[in-house]
Formats: sequence, structure tokens, C-alpha cells
Amino acid sequence: MSTKQEYLIRYKDGNLYCELADIWIDPRKPVKKALITHAHFDHFTFGCEEYISTKETAILLKERVGDNIKIKTFEYEEEFKINGIIISFHPSGHILGSSQIRFIFAEEKWLISGDFKLQKDDTCKQYEIVKTDYLISECTFGLPIFKWDESNKIANDISKWITNSPEKTSLLFCYSLGKAQRLLNEISQTNFKGNIYSHGSIHKMNNSYRELGIDIKDTIKIENKKKIDELKGSLILLPPSLSKGSFLKNFKNIQTAFASGWMSIRALRKRSGYDKGFAISDHADWDGILEVVKKSEAKNVFFHHGDSEALSKYLVKKESINVLLFGK
Amino acid sequence: MSLKNFSELFGDLDSINSTNNKIEVLKNYFLSNDPIDNSWAIYLLTGKNNKRFISGRYLKNLFSQIYEYPKWLIDTCYLKVGDSAEVITLLLKNKTNSRKKKLSNISLNELLSETIPALSKLNEEEKNLEIKNLWETLPEDNHLIFNKILTGTFRVGVSIGLITKSISKLINIEEEIISHRLMGDFKPSIDSYEFLINKNINLQELNSKPFPFLLANTIEDKIFKNSINDFQFEWKYDGIRLQLIKRSGNVSLWTRGQELVNESFPELVEKMSHIKDDFVLDGELLVWNFKEQIPFDFSLLQKRINRKSPTRSIQIKYPVIFIAYDLLEINGRDIREIKLENRRIELEKYFSKWKIKTENNISDIFKICDLIFPKDWTDALDYKEKSRENNTEGLIIKKKTSIYSSGRKKGIWWKYKVDPMQLDAVLIYAKGGSGRRAGLYTDYSFALWKDKELIKFASAYSGLTNIEIKELDKWIRKNTIEKFGPVRSLKPEMVFEISFEKIQISKRHKSGIAVRFPRITKWRKDKKINDADSLENAYELMKKIS
Repeated sequence: MSTKQEYLIRYKDGNLYCELADIWIDPRKPVKKALITHAHFDHFTFGCEEYISTKETAILLKERVGDNIKIKTFEYEEEFKINGIIISFHPSGHILGSSQIRFIFAEEKWLISGDFKLQKDDTCKQYEIVKTDYLISECTFGLPIFKWDESNKIANDISKWITNSPEKTSLLFCYSLGKAQRLLNEISQTNFKGNIYSHGSIHKMNNSYRELGIDIKDTIKIENKKKIDELKGSLILLPPSLSKGSFLKNFKNIQTAFASGWMSIRALRKRSGYDKGFAISDHADWDGILEVVKKSEAKNVFFHHGDSEALSKYLVKKESINVLLFGK
Repeated sequence: MSLKNFSELFGDLDSINSTNNKIEVLKNYFLSNDPIDNSWAIYLLTGKNNKRFISGRYLKNLFSQIYEYPKWLIDTCYLKVGDSAEVITLLLKNKTNSRKKKLSNISLNELLSETIPALSKLNEEEKNLEIKNLWETLPEDNHLIFNKILTGTFRVGVSIGLITKSISKLINIEEEIISHRLMGDFKPSIDSYEFLINKNINLQELNSKPFPFLLANTIEDKIFKNSINDFQFEWKYDGIRLQLIKRSGNVSLWTRGQELVNESFPELVEKMSHIKDDFVLDGELLVWNFKEQIPFDFSLLQKRINRKSPTRSIQIKYPVIFIAYDLLEINGRDIREIKLENRRIELEKYFSKWKIKTENNISDIFKICDLIFPKDWTDALDYKEKSRENNTEGLIIKKKTSIYSSGRKKGIWWKYKVDPMQLDAVLIYAKGGSGRRAGLYTDYSFALWKDKELIKFASAYSGLTNIEIKELDKWIRKNTIEKFGPVRSLKPEMVFEISFEKIQISKRHKSGIAVRFPRITKWRKDKKINDADSLENAYELMKKIS
């Protein structure tokens, strides 16, 4: 078995790094060359000399941070070479434009899963099974207590939650990019036919999705001086950052909810401070991670993002898969 | 009416924070469900069933056995979730896709009066099979309720008070009356529910109502400018505040939380009913150390509070006493408007009469509080400092000319509490919390120096804010030396001020001391571990006290 130094991709200063290509993956510090798996801010940092991503990710990033960054883009599956290493993006099903990244060098395949999910999501490309020798996977929800319900069931629950309190304004907190659009898409297929408002940050992303050819229901941008009566019985999508602070004082008679995979656990739901939690996630659940590990046919697996202790032990004991640890 | 309605009620109550909304939801549930199901719902939500059918551990083992699931994995999940019934519910989502016909229409009544009692008649093997069968046939959204009923863990932030309020709203009758009706054995049935929502109030119910309690304020400096003779001084007991009411022969014990606790203290009810007069007394309930004539710690009282119909041996092991400090009503005459000093005279007069005239000896369960007579305010301070010796919390100071009004009214009663003892200690272990604190490290152990070694001396889990808990949790994860199951040993780096009420020698502890009610009172980020206290400091503290 190869030692840490010989790995094609390793951890360096807390980031994934490929020394042979001198390229970083989703670095959290400014570097020369950065591969970006998707446009969430915890996978991106300012100040890199060059970014490389899918076309959709590049457009979303520029929409969020401005045109002032240098991004090279590639289509899914399109192979490109850096220092003799063949690199390609593959759909990861997390959000629009999100990708897994495959490296091929000297007959050895490496796959970085990026953030991914297998569940149905009409607002982005379905996860693609990619075969690999080495797999670096996220494991945000790496415990078997995480088992997602179908997203249309959650959407129906949300619809019921709103319509059961017609005298209230329902504030649903969710990430502005990806989760919000997926929810809009699902909610528009439920019985809820009232008005949907969204915060500026979400509104902007909706427009970008539409420009990229994704059919997203039109929402009304929430302005500061809306008449309170008008909002009765309607749904407002807001980013989680607004849940604490004075913003909520703009509304009267509200009920709040948070859409996140963590909400499947009662203790976390109670601690979150929201009235209600809807367990819907853009990350894979336990079964999802296991499926990807198995179908990728990887002989060696690394985990990052999340507590992987139980998952690793399970794979080693039950599936005889070699789980490796990164030296940090 | 299906079990599903109750599952939804449970979910709603769980997700609503506002008390008023909870009451509304309960009211609507009662309006739209059968009396029999309502009666079961009340039974479950008020914790009238403290019977657990199987333990959480049994449930986890059973799941592991049926589905060949590793136990360690279930235990890891438990650390994150903090409740056995919920862990198994979440894990079942992976398991019950069987094509068995679902029992979609089972009612709460059917489940509780037929299905579950039937289980207890089976042998273990049959029982396990039947639970598996129920897991696979009950609709998924009923699993949590089912598992919780099995393990007897019904905590949804619904107190008996909330049920009382919602029924009171439902039929428009005062809460005290409903409280009275909810007292005692509650056998779920159509009749018991009909009785609860009966709009006609009987005389006995009317007679049980307590007065609003008068509460003490924290001491104010300006009081020391007054003459000491204007005030009455009593020990501040750490028990349960009670109004003991006897009217038309019936005794009721009311707590400040408007709870009727007759069932927990039947011996007190029995003895007091022998007194010939009718009365309302205000006082404190304590577990009493008859040998030393001082109260035992509150922790012993806790062994009595939550236990309804205590056995004779429990009554002997934890003997209670009611110490009256005020008389509010005597033979139907409300005397709350009379000055305190005169009420005291009445109280003493009647107490001596009762002691002599009552057939059964009442003085082993009922007395009136002793008064203290400090010469001046310095003397009062001395008394306060000495209060630990007789296991009290300090002094209560009452204005002699005051009337008994209600609430935390200023300028009438004051509490003059003794300061807690404190030591600065180093955090050395952390353990995962359960319930609401699941997934966070919230149970901490603290150590003091002995030469160059840190010796564990106390464990505490209260006192930090939620924000501090999260911050500390993060730190704990990054500074773990070793993990032993749910416990982590930590890099000694964090110092906390620990407050406690009592310190004594203990052979059971490595440190040689035991403290009562340790709690965190400050995160001393300004201190290094070398600034923390030593065991020697603790011994000195002990010497100073005794």
C-alpha cells in the first residue's frame, strides 16, 4: 500500500491538494489554481489566481461574487490535462452545476465526490456513478439515523404547514442557493397555491437558475415595506442568517421553519429555535453514501466533512472496504 | 379516530413553543376526537402512566437482534439523538418497507387497551415477534408514539398544568376546579373524560381553591435602615412551598405551581384531617431529620414529590413535615387583611390548641416555624451565615405590619440568602448529554490540584448559556486526549468557577470530599490552570464551615 506521500491527492493545510498538478480542490485560502466543485461559499474563497469549474458553477459564482474573478470552465465529462493528469467534472446532484471531480494518472483513478446526493432533484443533473480506485467522499450525514423521505412528501408537509395556519405568515429558512430552488420547484407541485415571496439573495439565484434553463416558479421579491395583511397565509423563503436579529420584527403573527437534514433529530430541532423543522437535504443520507461507495467500486476510501468514525468502522467491518485516514 | 391523530398532536405540541398555541392545539384535539381517545391522550400526556413496558436498552437490543444490526452503531446513533425510542424510530425507516398490510386505522384506545396489554401476556420470544410485527404493520408516522409508549418516555413539554388550562378553556371553568378533578387515579374511560368536562361544579371542588401566594423579594439595602423590631425573622427553608387547606373536612395540598399534591403525601393529608377546625395555612413541606431537628436536603424531598401513593416504607424512609408560617383563613374567616404580627398570634394560639386537642398526635408531621430574634442587623447577618448549620438557605424577613397580599409585592417579605461556596476548578472530562442536549458534550467533570496532580472533585452540567455550551462543545472536540465510550478526557486548560451548597468528607471519592449541588457559575477564561484551587483550599473551606 502506498504511503501518505505517494497519494495523488492529500490533505494540506486542511485542504485537498494535488501536488503533481499543483492544484487545490475547494480551497479555503487563496492559491494559484483552484478546482471548484460547486458555488456554495464554504467551498470557495476569494483571491485565487485562477478558478476552474463547470459552466453553471462559474455563472452562479459570478452572480454571487461579481465578474472580477478568472474562471475557466468545462462541460461535464469533458476531459482536460494538467501536468499529464486527466481531470474531468461529473454531476454530483447536490445543486445546479455541482460536480464530482475525477483525476486519472498512471492508470490510477481518483474521485472527489464533492457534496452530493442521489435523491431526485429537478433543478440539477442527477448524480452520476463514476468508477474509481480511490474515493474521497463527504460524509456530512454519516449515521444510519439519517434516511431522507421523498422530497415530494416533505413539500406536501410544508404545504400543509402553511395552509393549516391561514392567518399566519410562514417563514421558511433555507440556503439561498440550491435548497431554495429545489423547494420552490417541489412546493409549486403541491396543493399550496398562495403567494410565495423570497428574499433578495434567493430571488437572485432563482433568476440565475432560470437563465440556465431551470424552470423555477416565479416568486415576489420581499420588499421592506410590505403590508402585513398581504402576507397572511403566504410563504416567505429566507436565508438562515436572517433567523436571528431584527429582520423578523418586520412581520407580525409568524411561524418559522428550517429546511435541513439535521431537522430529522428532535433534539436538534428543539435547539434550533425554529417552530418546525423539515428534514430535507442536498447531501446524501447513510444509504446514499454506502451506495456511492459500493457502486464506485473504490478499493480505498477517504472521508472528509463530517464525523466519519462510525461510517468507517461499518465499512471496514461489514463491507471489508479499506477506509484510510488523511494525515492533516 | 386513529392513532395518527394522536401522533399529529404529539408532533404539533413538540414543534410549538408558545403556551397559548399549545393550549389551542390541545383544545382542538379534544373537540375533534372521541372521549375515549381523549381520555387516553390525557393519561399519556400527563404522565399518569409511569409504567414502562420495556426499557430503552431492551428496545435497542431487540432491534439489533431482529435486523442483525451492530449494537455499537445503535449506541453511536444514540449519542446523537439522546432518546432510545427516537433512535429506533429513525433506524426503522430503513427497515420496514415490507409489503405487510398496514394497520392504518388502529385507534389510540385499541393500541393502549388491547394491543399493548396483550403483549404482556406473551412469553419473551412471542413478545419480540409481536413487536417486530407491529413495527412492520403500524404506519411509519406512528412508530415514535408506539416506541415511546413501550418505553414509557412521554415528555413533550406538556405539563399537567397545560392540560388543566386547555380543559378549563374548553368548558369555561376555572383551572383550580379542573386541577382538582385531575387529581387522583385517572383510569382512562369515557366516564373519566366526561367527569373532567362536566360543566357543573360541586361544592367540594369549590372548597379546595387556594389563595394566590405571596412571594418574597431579594433583600434590598434600604431595609437595614429600619429598626430591627419592625420585622419578623424566620429560617428560609429549601422545601416545597404549600398552602394546606382544610375546608368542610377535606384537606388539599397546593403547590405554588397550582398543583394539587395530595397523592404524594397521603400521611400528611390523613393527619391534618383529624384537626377539628377548618383553616388555610401557608408553609413549607420538608423531609425532616427528627434526630437533629433540621431538614434533610431537597434531594430527599425529590424522592417524594414525583412518587404518587408512596408505600409505607417510603413514608418512613423519607418522613415529611409541614412547617406552617402563616394562617390565612380560620373556620371560613379570611384573615389575610390582618397584620402579620396578629396572624402570628392566631397561628400560635390555634397550633397549641390543635396539639392538645387533636386525637392523633400531629406534632410528628406538623409544626409552626420558629422565629429568630436578632438583636440588630449585624446579629441578623450572623444568623444568616449560620444558616448552613441547620440546613437552611438563609433568612426570610417579614414586615410585622404587612397584610398577606399576592405575588412578588415589594416591601413585605424579603429573602436574605447565604452565598454559595465556590472554588475554581479545571475541566478534565466531558460526557455527551441526552434528550434536548443530545449530540453535545454537556456533562462536565472538574478537578482541583493536589501537589502537581489534578484530582476530580465534582461533576456539573448546569450553569452555562446555550452559546457557551456550543462554544465549549467545539473546544472539547478539538482538545480530546482520549475517548472512553461517551466520555472524553480533555487537555487541562479551561477553568470554571464552581458553586455548591455543602461540602463534606467522603470516602467514596478519590478527592476525599463531596459537594452538594455543584454548578458552574462562571467560565473563568481569564484564569490559567495554575490559578485553579487546590484540594487544600477545599479542606480549609470545610473547616471554616463546621
